Amino acid sequence: MFRLLGLLIFLALLAAPLPAQESPYFVTYSHYLEEPGNLEVATSSTLGVPRAGDRFFIAPYMELEYGVTARWTTELYLEGQSTTGDSTIFTGWRWENRYRPLQREHRINPILYFEYESINEGSRIRKEIAGNAPEVGEPNSELRQTHAHELEAKLILSSTVHDWNLAENFIVEKNVSAGEGFEFGYAFGAYRPLASIASGRNCRFCRENFSAGAEFYGGLGSTNGFGLHNTAHYFAPVIAWQLSDNATFRFSPSLGLTHQSNPVLLRFGYSYEIRAFRDKVARLFGGRP
Amino acid sequence: MIRRGGLAWLFVGVALAQNLDYRQDMNWRAPESAAARANPLAGKSDFVAGGAKLFQRHCAECHGPTGTGLKKAANLTLPDVQTQTDGVLFWKMTNGNPVHGMPTFSRLPELQRWQLVLYLRTLKP
Repeated sequence: MFRLLGLLIFLALLAAPLPAQESPYFVTYSHYLEEPGNLEVATSSTLGVPRAGDRFFIAPYMELEYGVTARWTTELYLEGQSTTGDSTIFTGWRWENRYRPLQREHRINPILYFEYESINEGSRIRKEIAGNAPEVGEPNSELRQTHAHELEAKLILSSTVHDWNLAENFIVEKNVSAGEGFEFGYAFGAYRPLASIASGRNCRFCRENFSAGAEFYGGLGSTNGFGLHNTAHYFAPVIAWQLSDNATFRFSPSLGLTHQSNPVLLRFGYSYEIRAFRDKVARLFGGRP
Repeated sequence: MIRRGGLAWLFVGVALAQNLDYRQDMNWRAPESAAARANPLAGKSDFVAGGAKLFQRHCAECHGPTGTGLKKAANLTLPDVQTQTDGVLFWKMTNGNPVHGMPTFSRLPELQRWQLVLYLRTLKP
């Protein structure tokens, strides 16, 4: 497994320098899918600043996002978690798929999202907030014993308005390992690039390399109790910086809006786009790209 | 073991799926209102260099570094392409043709898409 990860990272470092156009969102999804045949390797972390009496945690995760077709993007996640004064554990994996049902751009563009999660209760990456806020305080040694097989679906609605992206996500999640009912959540986001015109020169600090906006996301309870009671909600400015032609850095300080939220979730991520990954793999096996 | 093997084959299958050869899609047509749009950057040669940079970033992978086409995408220097209006090219870039493998580029700011149209006009066979 570690050899495979090492190989992937090595391939990423060798890949020709070509660009990424990353949205700065961490939680919200827009209708922009991965380009067909491209592979994006990303590593991100969620750092949880606790309320008094709780402990800091950091939850790193790795994403492999692949554009199967121009209408279908698939993504594999591997995630872990480390809590101060406790331990570091592997918390599971996720496989998500996004499908674009409509061919053309419309005022509102729907995307269908399906995900399977094989995680344990130690998961803290907070890729989405659904249901009620989890209780904290149990040690990782106990949390890792409780496995969850979850199915998640999202309706992603997204629009391009001038240079802005506006996105709304509606989430339903079901833990098939436990009788928790269906859990609900939402995420809204807006961002835009900081420059509309591309300059002719290659530059690192040009405004065109930055995009910024904000996300607003949280849980909406479950079929056992729908609503805002005992739910976590966050407001998060987001910024993305295209470091080089194929690498992007993203940062977001999420501010908790309810007592059940963490006061702050600091998110940061680095992604690397391998263009024409499918062609490169095909060449390895003697195929025509 | 069987389940792991099956999963590995599934990922390989997904990774190699949809290796389409390029075929011109006669039904990929812009509406008249879009075709009639004029390029707001027309005649502003200062913006061509930015368009060239964007082309290498977003288009060269499929259309080739000089736009003369690769196996899976059109030769952009051909009269079939160059006789299309700026508005048509802009519309095709914006909407893509997902069934035939052309992604949408609506995520690029509108003026950057017009910069790309500006650059496409400089491509020669």
